[in-house]
Amino acid sequence: MATSASPEPARRIRAIDFALVLWPSFLAACAASVLFFAAVDPAMLRDAGPHLFAGLDREAGYALGFLFFWGVGALASTVSIYLIRTERGGGRADPPGAA
Amino acid sequence: MSVARLKSVPPPEAGDGPFYVAAAKIYPREIGGRFTRLRRAAVVVLLGLFYGVAWLEWDAHQAVLFDLPARKFHLFALTLWPQDFLYLALLLILAALSLFFFTALAGRLWCGYACPQTVWTELFVWIEQWTEGTRSRRMKLDRGPWTAEKVLRKSLKQVLWVALAAWTGFTFVGYFTPIRSLGGDLAHLSLGPWSSFWIVLYGLATYGNAGFLREQVCKYMCPYARFQSAMFDKDTLVISYDPARGEPRGPRRRGTPARAAGLGDCIDCTLCVQVCPTGIDIRKGLQYECIACGACIDACDDVMDKMASPRGLIRYTTEHAVQGEATHLVRPRMLVYGALLAAGSVALVYSLFTRVPLILDVIRDRNSLYREVRGDRIENAYSLKVINLDDRPHSYSLVASGMRGLELAAPLAPITVPAGSVSNIPARLDVAAPQAGGVHSISLTLTALDAPGIRVRETSRFVGPAP
Repeated sequence: MATSASPEPARRIRAIDFALVLWPSFLAACAASVLFFAAVDPAMLRDAGPHLFAGLDREAGYALGFLFFWGVGALASTVSIYLIRTERGGGRADPPGAA
Repeated sequence: MSVARLKSVPPPEAGDGPFYVAAAKIYPREIGGRFTRLRRAAVVVLLGLFYGVAWLEWDAHQAVLFDLPARKFHLFALTLWPQDFLYLALLLILAALSLFFFTALAGRLWCGYACPQTVWTELFVWIEQWTEGTRSRRMKLDRGPWTAEKVLRKSLKQVLWVALAAWTGFTFVGYFTPIRSLGGDLAHLSLGPWSSFWIVLYGLATYGNAGFLREQVCKYMCPYARFQSAMFDKDTLVISYDPARGEPRGPRRRGTPARAAGLGDCIDCTLCVQVCPTGIDIRKGLQYECIACGACIDACDDVMDKMASPRGLIRYTTEHAVQGEATHLVRPRMLVYGALLAAGSVALVYSLFTRVPLILDVIRDRNSLYREVRGDRIENAYSLKVINLDDRPHSYSLVASGMRGLELAAPLAPITVPAGSVSNIPARLDVAAPQAGGVHSISLTLTALDAPGIRVRETSRFVGPAP
């Protein structure tokens, strides 16, 4: 843990981090939505699914499904970036012993 | 979003890796020439298709419509359903294979001419050049104080950018919701919440990517830019500076032969750097930032013409050619990519032409294994899901086979399903008790009465008492 007042450079949130989180998760969400909604009709979730989906029309189903996949992907990307950035040595891909 | 933030600001923590927004702004210089004309043509054709095709009609419906609310995809005469997902998957595989094939053949053709990022950025840069002027005027404008002219030019640019982005978002959503009714909703300000949401999201994405991020998408966000080198070999067409001819670079007077001045052909005018949309110096060799747009070739050809030197100091070439060796067009990589591409295309065309617009799902009744009827017969119950994927209604006859003496008890009348609809039909089969013992594999065949070619066969099981 850094004890100094200013965080280590690797831990600072940078503008590029937003792109690195949002963009791959966006692509993954596109793929996941196509696959998922090819097999599952949102109207079916409303009619036969749990009570949670009552009142869901198709358009809302597609949009919320997409946003859900995007959110899950973004969470995974965030954790990945956090783990890389907080790795000892700043997450550089130096081969072992190359110090 | 304020334009002032786009300005070239020194990174606050230089040496801390590339900064995203704080990266120096690139002012691509305006350029004409062969490859610029080619790219302009690509922009006009591709964006013309994008903005135009949404408005085409075909047989009283939108020609290309991925009608998500109705779960139907219209592609001119073809109507696809979610059940036809195979075609979409095949199409995506073909797209990926084409990308591999053309990358191996001619480098980053996709990046330079066809990628939406390139195409829309080009359009946004045209607007920028029209409102703010040439490269040097834009740089001067950004450095200068906020005069009335600067405010006017910048506002005009933003208004045009936002309008274009909004129109792009609207068109994009128009491929998923019928665009004419969407246009009507827009005119009456009665857009649904989700349509508005998607239009704003895609409008913002267009504005952000083509107006604000531009080359940074290619540099920091594009996975293809990173792995395209895996498809490159020494025979791939790349844009390359010819150091043997160009070096040592240095300025010289027009008409002075380079060699007489002890110099190479490169006069170090840096025009190739100024026109580069990603801001690299091609003379440093092939870099992954290079999107192969050819702007530097056009710039250098112009200069070579003026210096009365032959063109091609920067040119499309291959690593083998630069080394003075022969370039091989046909090589194992090309054959493998080409064969896969050809096989996939044949499979897609064949499966589309032999596609039967009818789906039958047979589900055995799970409540009872079998039931005795009329004293001496064993009956099984099924639930049939008949999906008519055709654009007109059909009546189908149902035939059961696979067991001696198997008879259809219901339905006895032909099954009629409207165009593009699903019918759930209960069905019952029976067989004389002596033949029914054990589990049998049976099949049900559905045939359109008016088109014998529309026929599907599904297998299921018939269960009788244990023998």
